[in-house]
Amino acid sequence: MNSINLIILICAGLAVASVFTSVIAFRAGAPLLLLFLAIGLLAGRNGPGGIVFTDARAAFLIGSAALAVILFDSGFHTGFKSYRQAAAPAILLATFGVAITAAVVALAGHSLLDLTWPQALLLGTVLSSTDAAALFFLLRVGGITIRDRVRSTLEVESGTNDPVAAALTMTAVGLLAGGDIHWVGLAPRFAAEMGGGALFGLAGGTAIVLVVNRLKLEPGLYPVVVMSLAILIFALTNLVGGSGFLAAYLAGLVAGNARLQWAGALRRFQEGITWLAQIAMFVTLGLLATPSHFFALAAPGALAAVALIFIARPIAVYICLAPFHFSKRERFFIAWVGLRGAVSILLGLLPMLGGIPGGEIFFDISFLVVVASLVVQGWTVRPLARWLGLIVPERSGPADRMEIDLPGLADRELVAYVLHPDSGVAQGRSLPRWARPLLVRRGQRVLSSPRQLLAGDRVYLMVPRVQVSLLDTLFGRSRGTGDTDTALYGDFAVGPEIPLGSLREAYDLPLSDVDDRVPLSELFRREFRTDIELGDRLQLGPVDLIVRDMRDGKITSVGISLEPWAKPQIGWERFKTRLSAILGIPAG
Amino acid sequence: MDIVDLISPESVVPNLRATSKKQALQELARRAAELTGLHERAIFDVLLERERLGTTGVGNGIAIPHGKLANLPRLYGLFARLERPINFDSIDEQPVDLIFLLLAPESAGADHLKALARVSRLLRDKGVCEKLRGTDTAEGLYALLTESPASRAA
Repeated sequence: MNSINLIILICAGLAVASVFTSVIAFRAGAPLLLLFLAIGLLAGRNGPGGIVFTDARAAFLIGSAALAVILFDSGFHTGFKSYRQAAAPAILLATFGVAITAAVVALAGHSLLDLTWPQALLLGTVLSSTDAAALFFLLRVGGITIRDRVRSTLEVESGTNDPVAAALTMTAVGLLAGGDIHWVGLAPRFAAEMGGGALFGLAGGTAIVLVVNRLKLEPGLYPVVVMSLAILIFALTNLVGGSGFLAAYLAGLVAGNARLQWAGALRRFQEGITWLAQIAMFVTLGLLATPSHFFALAAPGALAAVALIFIARPIAVYICLAPFHFSKRERFFIAWVGLRGAVSILLGLLPMLGGIPGGEIFFDISFLVVVASLVVQGWTVRPLARWLGLIVPERSGPADRMEIDLPGLADRELVAYVLHPDSGVAQGRSLPRWARPLLVRRGQRVLSSPRQLLAGDRVYLMVPRVQVSLLDTLFGRSRGTGDTDTALYGDFAVGPEIPLGSLREAYDLPLSDVDDRVPLSELFRREFRTDIELGDRLQLGPVDLIVRDMRDGKITSVGISLEPWAKPQIGWERFKTRLSAILGIPAG
Repeated sequence: MDIVDLISPESVVPNLRATSKKQALQELARRAAELTGLHERAIFDVLLERERLGTTGVGNGIAIPHGKLANLPRLYGLFARLERPINFDSIDEQPVDLIFLLLAPESAGADHLKALARVSRLLRDKGVCEKLRGTDTAEGLYALLTESPASRAA
């Protein structure tokens, strides 16, 4: 009996430790997933924890289930809008991109690491997919708002390339196991994986929507049934030979984009369960690893990581994105942010599970490469996005907001805000009719229709869901012009309709090849066509022009950034400035 | 391009009086004319021309009106602290009480932009602005403008 309690204690203790360390990670800006891995390693057989966990099957089981949950949730949070924007480049990256990455890594493995071709191919396929979990995590939890199209491309790519990589890895394992590979049979099998995954995912997602909206259940059961169905779809698809990863992702996509009852409760539950899945997966993989093996493999691991990060990924990205309209900086960013994560480690388990002699090596190397990728890329994503000017201003300051579900009213939401002192309304802006509060709480008093709203009031409103984001601008903090905002919006604002001639005149900008009478907004239309977004930048000689504000798809204000490459001070520079300000001496 | 290359103690006005944006620009043009020897009207017209493209009121009570003039020998800066904040059509719709005027020769090119960037960066520093608002002598303002870490090239 005590041994069971001990196991429970260990599992819960590891989860608690992971959660606690997340506090440190947020402070230090360290990739959180790396920390979870580290906790697994520390608790494992070479660490102070000393837990001997060698069951690769169990690890694969936990990892797969966790990944199904994570992918479902990723899909749930991805809007169809992202797909419209990024489907073509992302899918090309997820298919050809994966193949190119695998091939280049295999080439490096064969020529530098003395692997046989099948072994090298296996290494390439194991490392070929970017990790949705790690990427979503970095882009969302990291609080980075990057240009929609870049973000969507990365997200859709990482959501859809796992099944491709998995299929390729299975093939490579088969190859290595000595089985004859029927290259002819490969394509249909691959098509079946993809087709089955897509079919089951779409059908499953629709089923989830029907169950939630039609079935009358105890309220607390809705999140449970949704998550169970998601995992069921995953397993069922795998059993019939389709790609369960793809199915889970697509089911989430369908469900998340439908009008769902209890959407708020579902989101909250999934957020929690996804965290748990991340922790469980990474800690388990950390536990399974044997760090003492790593030393022997450090050199090949580092070589594989370098080949992947600096050669394979950039080659794949530049080839796949060539037909599409991306700026130089965007291509560079996408090439750099090819994060590897749990998927690669899980795929690295396949050779071991497939009974390949020496299969552990693939697990160890993929583990090392993932750690390298999380450290090198994970740590640099944010400064790089900033440096490349890809961070887009948030449309409004954060509002303290909570959503309450109204059973039976799928398109309306009860929303509560705490009125921010800098918000438009607190500054005296009048409220549109649809945004009149149902009731207002001021201190301990409840008011039904106060003459004036004051900062700090808790405001309850019932609004159509599509308008919720508009409320942020009314009740949340309005955009200031702080330091970061100047970096995002530029130093000066000019009208979109001013003729280019006058702009060239004022700032000596290199605009000789355009008609002086052409309005400024036309420059953006030429560059971004119909896909103009807030924060879009055009480099014009020494300055950047930035879309500062938009209304109804039209630019209403353009910012001029005078020092686009003089990025906001980070780290050491800021420290120096602060220090010199405190000491009263000029920074040198 | 440091702030000290742009302004002298004579080009700092600790208590400019104006009730409107137009009046403030006129007053600044007059003082700039004294400094540079150029025609007041020419300066005013150039500033007004620039405001037509978009306001130079950059928010947080700051305005950086600027323009290029043919017969200017070098870059000229002029800093004014207003007695009372005025409406400047700023991007944040807040009244303006600190104005840095920058005039550049027609041929200044990149130097014009560099100087503007330097001024913009200096006045983006909230601490500097706070101190500027709390200082009412030309010498004090000049010292603050030229000695803050942000007023020098890094």
